[in-house]
Amino acid sequence: MKIIVAGPGCPRCKATEENVKKACEELKLEAEITHIYDVKEFPKLGVILTPAVLIDKEVVISGKVPTVQELKEILSKKI
Amino acid sequence: MLKDLIMAGLLAVEDYIALHVLTCLVPAFLLAGAMVTFINRGAILYYLGEKSNKIISFPLAGVSSFLLAACSCTVIPVASGLYYSGASIGVVFILLWVAPAANILALTYTGNILGVEMVISRVVAALLMAFIVGIVMSIVFEKKRKVEAIHKDKAPQIIAKKELILILLILACLLLPNYFVRSGGYIYKVLIWAVTTLIMIIYVISVIEKARIKEWLRETWWFVRIIFPLLLIGVFIVGIIGKILPEAWIKNWLGGNSISASFFATLIGAVSYFATMTEAPFVDTLMKLGMGKGPALTLLLTGPGVSLPNWLAIARVFGFKKAVVYVPTIIALGTLIGWLFGNFIF
Repeated sequence: MKIIVAGPGCPRCKATEENVKKACEELKLEAEITHIYDVKEFPKLGVILTPAVLIDKEVVISGKVPTVQELKEILSKKI
Repeated sequence: MLKDLIMAGLLAVEDYIALHVLTCLVPAFLLAGAMVTFINRGAILYYLGEKSNKIISFPLAGVSSFLLAACSCTVIPVASGLYYSGASIGVVFILLWVAPAANILALTYTGNILGVEMVISRVVAALLMAFIVGIVMSIVFEKKRKVEAIHKDKAPQIIAKKELILILLILACLLLPNYFVRSGGYIYKVLIWAVTTLIMIIYVISVIEKARIKEWLRETWWFVRIIFPLLLIGVFIVGIIGKILPEAWIKNWLGGNSISASFFATLIGAVSYFATMTEAPFVDTLMKLGMGKGPALTLLLTGPGVSLPNWLAIARVFGFKKAVVYVPTIIALGTLIGWLFGNFIF
């Protein structure tokens, strides 16, 4: 599973990345997590509002910091 | 000497923050949090991305800028998203200008510190400048661009009715204490604030779902955590600056409503970075030292609206040429607006 966090490096984006990592850890999920900082890349990913989380190229979170609980629910559906 | 400066800084913190926490800052942060949580920003962008005609899309961009980004740090990614997904260049730069120059947190705080007249002027001037910037950017850069359209389904809803009512109630908490209590003690303001807030809380508990309330409070807490420390530091520095700066300088360079005073104020604002909200106490301090109202207005706008880091970010994301047109346009307009308001409006 490939997870992308998209955000320009703001505190909210960092918090999002941390929560994604925590969620993966708690689910014992092996996922490749990348953080894309370049705003020019966002539209290509389909992201307008940041922070955003993509799982296998699908935008699942956009414009808010997701909680670990929320992410776990989304992730467990994707497994 | 050093002790005096620290005292001046601390006094400023007491004046500008302690006295405003309950009746201004708490509701303002709750409002910003509510806007991020309850307003579907994707829906607003959907309407802005439309290739509609400029008579509709420019005012729409101006108004929605108030709702889109409550803090200047979020506006560049949003604007670039709009740009690369096909919105008109005019709309993009209206957003880039209005969102930081007149965001909701800064506006409420300005109202509290500098009064209603200044807030209304700030909104009107920000919009006026935005439309001219939009037109200039369109004339210089608008051409047929090839863009990948965002996939569009049916028009989404911007906000649910019961959540809109909540936002209006928070607005009431912000405005009513200051509307009813123009003179008299702070304690009366707190009293009215307490009543409106109680009504708001009862509404929230009985109408809004628990998960949404949690999300709202979390977003609010985010704003507090990011902005409040900056505000504390900023106000402390403002207090010290007010103590150090000789009054004669201010009167000389920024006094009155001449075009040169206005230009100088614009320049200060355009170069330096003001964390959102800190511009209001800064301007208040300078006004007490003799800055004219016109220059004050343009400093309020350009302070948070543009800054050196912001020029660089715009150049990097939208291209060097656009920054070269945008920044001088803002400086020219800011100077003009300060002069115009100073001489004919105030």
